[in-house]
Amino acid sequence: MKISLHWLKDYVDLSGQPEEIAERLTMAGLEVENIEKAGDKYKNFVVGEVLEVTNHPNAEKLTVCKVNSGKAVLKIVCGAPNVSTGQKVVVGLVGAIVPRNQHRSDSTPLVLGQAEIRGETSEGMICSEYELDIGEDSEGILVLEKRARVGTPFARYLGLEDTVLDVAVTPNRPDCLSHIGVAREVAAFLRKKVKVPHIQGKEIREHVSKAARVTIETKVDCPRYSARVVRDVQLGDSPVWMQQRLRAIGIRPINNVVDITNYVVMELGIPLHAFDYDKLAGHRIVVRRAHDDKRFTTLDGAVRELHEDMLLICDRDKPVAIAGVMGGLNTEISDTTRNVLIEGAYFNPTSIRRTSKNLAIMTEASQRFERGVDPNMTVFAVERAAQLMGKIARGRVLKGVIDQCSKKFVARKVLVRVGKVNEVLGTSLSKKEITESLSRLEILRTRSKVSREQDAGLLFSVPTFRPDLEKEIDLIEEIGRTYGYDRIETKMRGHIRFSERTSELPLEDKLREWLASDGFNEVVANSMQEKSFAALSSEDYVEMLNPISKEMGALRTSLLPGLLEIAAHNFNHGTKNLRLFEIGKVYFCRESSDKRSRKDYEEEDRLLLAISGEAAPTHWDVPTRLADIFDLKGEFETLFSKIFLDKVKFIYYPNSKTLTDPTVGVEINKTYMGLLGRVNEQAKRLFDIKQDVFVGELSLEVLRGNITTASRYLSLPKYPSVTRDLAFVVNEDVSAEELRDAVREGGGDLVQSVELFDVYVGDKIGSGKKSMAFAVQLMSRHHTLTDEEIEDRIDQIVSVVASRFQARLRAL
Amino acid sequence: MKEKIAQVKEQFNSEIELVRTEQELENVRVKFLARKGLIAELFDSLKIVPAGERPQLGKSLNELRTFAQSAFEECKKGLGSLGRATTARSMDLSYPGRKRWIGSKHPITQTMEEIVRNFSSMGFVVALGPEIEDDYHNFEALNFPPDHPARDLQDTFFVSGDILLRTHTSPGQIHVMEREKPPVRVIIPGRVYRNEAISARSYCVFHQVEGLYVDTAVSFSELKGTLVAFSRQLFGRNTKYRFRPGYFPFTEPSAEMDISCFICSGRGCRVCKQTGWLEILGCGMVHPNVYKFVGYDEDNYTGYAFGMGIERIAMLRYGIDDIRIFFENDVRFLSQF
Repeated sequence: MKISLHWLKDYVDLSGQPEEIAERLTMAGLEVENIEKAGDKYKNFVVGEVLEVTNHPNAEKLTVCKVNSGKAVLKIVCGAPNVSTGQKVVVGLVGAIVPRNQHRSDSTPLVLGQAEIRGETSEGMICSEYELDIGEDSEGILVLEKRARVGTPFARYLGLEDTVLDVAVTPNRPDCLSHIGVAREVAAFLRKKVKVPHIQGKEIREHVSKAARVTIETKVDCPRYSARVVRDVQLGDSPVWMQQRLRAIGIRPINNVVDITNYVVMELGIPLHAFDYDKLAGHRIVVRRAHDDKRFTTLDGAVRELHEDMLLICDRDKPVAIAGVMGGLNTEISDTTRNVLIEGAYFNPTSIRRTSKNLAIMTEASQRFERGVDPNMTVFAVERAAQLMGKIARGRVLKGVIDQCSKKFVARKVLVRVGKVNEVLGTSLSKKEITESLSRLEILRTRSKVSREQDAGLLFSVPTFRPDLEKEIDLIEEIGRTYGYDRIETKMRGHIRFSERTSELPLEDKLREWLASDGFNEVVANSMQEKSFAALSSEDYVEMLNPISKEMGALRTSLLPGLLEIAAHNFNHGTKNLRLFEIGKVYFCRESSDKRSRKDYEEEDRLLLAISGEAAPTHWDVPTRLADIFDLKGEFETLFSKIFLDKVKFIYYPNSKTLTDPTVGVEINKTYMGLLGRVNEQAKRLFDIKQDVFVGELSLEVLRGNITTASRYLSLPKYPSVTRDLAFVVNEDVSAEELRDAVREGGGDLVQSVELFDVYVGDKIGSGKKSMAFAVQLMSRHHTLTDEEIEDRIDQIVSVVASRFQARLRAL
Repeated sequence: MKEKIAQVKEQFNSEIELVRTEQELENVRVKFLARKGLIAELFDSLKIVPAGERPQLGKSLNELRTFAQSAFEECKKGLGSLGRATTARSMDLSYPGRKRWIGSKHPITQTMEEIVRNFSSMGFVVALGPEIEDDYHNFEALNFPPDHPARDLQDTFFVSGDILLRTHTSPGQIHVMEREKPPVRVIIPGRVYRNEAISARSYCVFHQVEGLYVDTAVSFSELKGTLVAFSRQLFGRNTKYRFRPGYFPFTEPSAEMDISCFICSGRGCRVCKQTGWLEILGCGMVHPNVYKFVGYDEDNYTGYAFGMGIERIAMLRYGIDDIRIFFENDVRFLSQF
């Protein structure tokens, strides 16, 4: 809501700088987002007089003028054909910013400086109305009337001395969508009185009840409808003061009748509508729901599709307005309008909100109605408008007001307990202080007829312009607000509960810590992505009904597509070596097993690692090596060791649906945990990636479920261990994992570790064969192993391996 | 003969790998590639193999020569770039050491962790809630009645029926209060969604931290104390603050907390829009209507709640002027944290 300070001064005595007033309002809860001084636009523009015009020595179309700016006589080069001696003109001084630049189409602001134009110095600029942004004529300079005083700032000449505050009004304060409402707040905080406009005007003898009739068919949707009729208005421009005020707060003046209704809306916060009385068939107003009316043309010329429940204002024959939202084209004020019916009503907020949402139009009127206007102000508002129409548009105001009111709107009574006030605020306010602070907001104490018990509380009467104040707690806020939040003690001690350790976050925290210290950069990606990516999952994805764009139509079912986008971005910006991780959620939608209930939505935590580019930072002594799938696998293995997971299995996993090839499945205790692999060619093309990327994605839920947190200390071994190297020649298709398992099995309980340390494929062992060498560590926790025991175990290992894989031992 | 070729290749490989100086490289050249070198010798012995095997062996010999030649050139280039220093390589300690990759946690994570740690030290327990929410938890139980204009404050993504993506972490309050009886003292970090036009100032996905404390005799005064302690921990001991009235349907009284702009020390700058103040969070006393929804006795308990945007705080702290950069994940950005 834009508030003009000039205008505000009609209702409350204001002193102090605009900045101070803005600060007051902000601290009262009406946040001032911007202070706009109308004159700022014309800083350094003054009224000047052309003293002399001579031809420019070096340019045919230019003149050199001597201009009195009040303070000095300036030499200005001018290109306008209409410049001549004796004219009063607008001079832009050095430092002025020309509002519109007619010489450059790209709208770069032109800052005036001392310039040299074809060899002649120019100390300013004589402006056109285009340049000043007050008209479209850019051919010649703007010539002012003769009586304009030389040296007057142009803003003052235009009467632009107002300051406009842009106030962010919260939805609970419809009363502050008006100057009078803001004035009330200012008055409360400056401890001043509000001056309500005085209604006084001549009425003619004809009574309004003879001229028009109002019928309300749905009293729930329209509890009150007030109207006045004004005859013989003289349509024309509004007076300058009204135009200036409307312009200042961003409303375009149209004609005096329309301007008056707009003016009263902005003054009192009660939306008004002016109908062309002669176009109302039967001079009747009927308030009813749309029923069978399907279409209606509003005054902006748009054809609106109606819903049967929408509230309409109709005359005897037809709809003339969508109630509380917008008037109709058929009864709009036009050049031929002579007589006017002014409507001021109170509509049910919910009904207006539904209509406005349904039609997707929000107007000054609908905004106020849906938040709740003061039902007891409708009569006052139409009277005010009628008064202004009488005065400004020289209309003849009919006697009396039509006021159809099906319900009495009485001030709400709210009980406030002193103890509760102080408990909630942490204050120790007395009855008197409470009463005083509320009275500043026109919330007055009333005598309660109930008992005078100790904590019976104080009864207050809430004015009807404050629909937001319903309960005790609402008044407690008002007490806190007027008392001042800053005056409430900032209590630096409080009760503290001892917190329990939560089990949910720590694993993620640890993983982030480890991965970051392991050289991975954490990424945080958008969880909304294209449907086609989400559809890669075998489970149903979650789709938004109103997505922001096609690229964000669904919630992700995997962290991988988001990561590939990030990888592509980085590759395109010159970062070729990537080590990235993300811990984030994926989302699924499942048919509920319970048929009656809606679908089940599931959110699952995932961990994603990605590696691309070089395996290690460039070093002069180490040959560069590109990362491969074993770098990634190693990262996962290291991670698993860190959290003591040893039941993990990696399984080759041919699956055409994945974005990777080859793909390795990861299982823990036979539960599927995720995948790792190299991003396949198709996916690389899709994301426009040229280099290899290795990725792995695991379910954190599964990981979490398999961690044994209580790790008990194991005493250190007292006896030495022995390590033997064994190399086996086996068929190519025997996997290292199978072979290692066989070695472990053969070695039994003495085996401490089995590490693969060499693989050889070559002519020496024949084609179709490979050799794998393991370091086998043997140890007993009970005694030092004897040579016989060791040889015995080694023999067992060899025999298990030999019989299972037709392997032979290779001499090392 | 075949074995012989393989053997020479292996030998060449192991020797060229050990080359450290130009002299050593020259030795390798002489031994393998010179006119009387080992490879030349092999070519000579081609004459004595049976004619049938000759083409095959000749081919592998040629391959060996090409391989050795290019390995030699490669090595020579490498030596050249090291220049004179090579001869005294082990002595020049100004050579860079062998580094590892440097990783980082995302600035959103870092900010979130710091805020959570901060409140944990004041006895708040971490709680989490779902991102796919129902209307009841996201709006209704938080005292946003259906058809209430306050719903316009938060543009919502709808999923189906009354299912939506949560627009704030506040529904977490409801989940906690449904689960537990007072006293409750929780902090709820998480991701939220708003269907707003994407710009430098707003993104459709962002993060919040919510706080809730309900007990007997909790006052606005204590709320102020807790948040002042928090902001001083996060922004420094001399941070000035102010609380001004605000509006959230689920708190009453409601307040916005501003801290003195630490960029201009309150003198006024672009970031604080010349006001000297930065808005950092919204807060207030839990509205009695909310207690009704979760079945708390509104006469016995009072409490406060607060919420803040993580990106906003991170942007202020690091001087970031475009929220989108968090979600772009450019490594040049990430590695600054």
